[in-house]
Amino acid sequence: MSFARICRKERFGERFVCFELEERDIASQARPGQFVMVRPGFRVFDPLLPRPFAVLSANDDRFSLLFEVVGKGTELLSYLEVGDVVEVLGPLGRGFSLDARFGILLAGGRGLVPLVFLAREFEKRGILFSFFLGVRKRKDLALLRLLEDLPRVLWSCEEAVSGGFCGTVLDLVGKCLERALWQGAKIYACGPEGMLRELATVFPGKEEDIEVALEARMGCGFGVCLGCAIPRRGGGYWHVCSDGPVFRLSEVVL
Amino acid sequence: MNLSVTLGRMTLKNPVVLASGTCGYGREIAPYLDLNTLGAITVKGLSLFPWEGNPPPRLFEVRAGLLNSIGLENKGVERFLQEDLPFLEALDTRVFVNIWGKTVEEYVAVARKLDAIERIDALELNVSCPNVEKGGASFLLDPEALRELVGRVREATGKFLIVKLGPKLQDWEVTVRILEEEGAEALSVTNSFPAMVVDVERMDFVFAMKSAGLSGPAIKPLALKMVYDLVGMTELPIIGMGGIMTAEDALEFLLVGARAVGVGTANLVAPSSAVDILEGIKAYLLRKDMENIEDLIGRVR
Repeated sequence: MSFARICRKERFGERFVCFELEERDIASQARPGQFVMVRPGFRVFDPLLPRPFAVLSANDDRFSLLFEVVGKGTELLSYLEVGDVVEVLGPLGRGFSLDARFGILLAGGRGLVPLVFLAREFEKRGILFSFFLGVRKRKDLALLRLLEDLPRVLWSCEEAVSGGFCGTVLDLVGKCLERALWQGAKIYACGPEGMLRELATVFPGKEEDIEVALEARMGCGFGVCLGCAIPRRGGGYWHVCSDGPVFRLSEVVL
Repeated sequence: MNLSVTLGRMTLKNPVVLASGTCGYGREIAPYLDLNTLGAITVKGLSLFPWEGNPPPRLFEVRAGLLNSIGLENKGVERFLQEDLPFLEALDTRVFVNIWGKTVEEYVAVARKLDAIERIDALELNVSCPNVEKGGASFLLDPEALRELVGRVREATGKFLIVKLGPKLQDWEVTVRILEEEGAEALSVTNSFPAMVVDVERMDFVFAMKSAGLSGPAIKPLALKMVYDLVGMTELPIIGMGGIMTAEDALEFLLVGARAVGVGTANLVAPSSAVDILEGIKAYLLRKDMENIEDLIGRVR
């Protein structure tokens, strides 16, 4: 674990916090889909475990994270300010494959984080993609700020918004993506489990070409505690931290 | 400064041991700390055949503690020998291997396989498992089953034999005498505490198995008392463990008479914890002007 200074903090809507952190090793090595374990940089054992967060972006010596305040651990982290220090471990896990010819990126809520990183990487590599974001609440649309300069972004909100599509991200996809458009594409998704489960129905026969970034309650983040088990297609378990967090949809039972 | 400790015929270069189930098979944690600086590493519990463990959820964090219901998932002794032993061969530290089984025969079979491996320094017997042949009661809670288990494993191996106790003991005196008589050479004290969480929204248990094992800072004073009591009851050397997060925690265990300390849950919080704890112990000895770690073992009785 190493210490990283918070050099920028930004809030998005009511529940999302973004930290830019100074840590050269992680910044230079992180790949889209990978994550880091984070805990406050003071010797506190309650909350006990570090929390796993997907990497939002990384450049030479800084990387950033964005998380939603959902419990005690994330709430405590949200109180930290610029200049404070966190303990970080990473980058961890297996990221997205980058071999798409055309990508369809599907994000539900905070699931946009690893996909924003992926979109930036696709831009660098000249890979075409469309980005779909779905949020539950109107206030969560603040997350669109992260996508401002990306081409081909479509969004939906489950609360009515004037001029916006009302529904989930998969409702949106169903409305505007015809089979011919997704047939030759590779699909990347991250969001609530229910959304990921539905992907097999929305894109029949496509499971091999769908990569999902999964979220899990983790103990260690590096494969020793075996706490983040998820059922494996064909029996047994995968461990989200070390086998994933990115899986082909065909590998897992959601 | 002399940090080495003896546990009967076993010598460790220092008293800090990585506890079973929190450092994988060794390779997984190796990128984050220098294993060779530690006294020993305890490989996670191995069974005769691969075992897939419990369904999720497997973890739940509570105030200053962690409940786990991993269910002893492991790759089995054969795959361990093929995939992980080569890495361990190259280490310059003691290698302990935790073993478990559903029947006495399974324990014996695992012990035999590992007995043949020179690199392995000790076997640590998890005796808290349910004894499938006797209706699923824990070996630890059935004196006759415990006697048979430890005795049979003792016959099967010449390795240094550690027995890992859980916090629920039927009769401490009886248990300890059985372990002494059947040839245990050290005790690991203690395993996680049986505990429970209820999800009030769903009005159901969080874990499929209902109960799970509590570890972390929350259990440290309980484990410390257990070690203190057992030190007074037996000459067998004790590896104290349970919620050790800092050097100060480790020192408490040594001071009440543990001859080594196991670092467990702390490895999950930060994989370099054990090294930090060792450094803290050294700093303490310097500050106290003590040359020899043996001088502090059992000093608070």
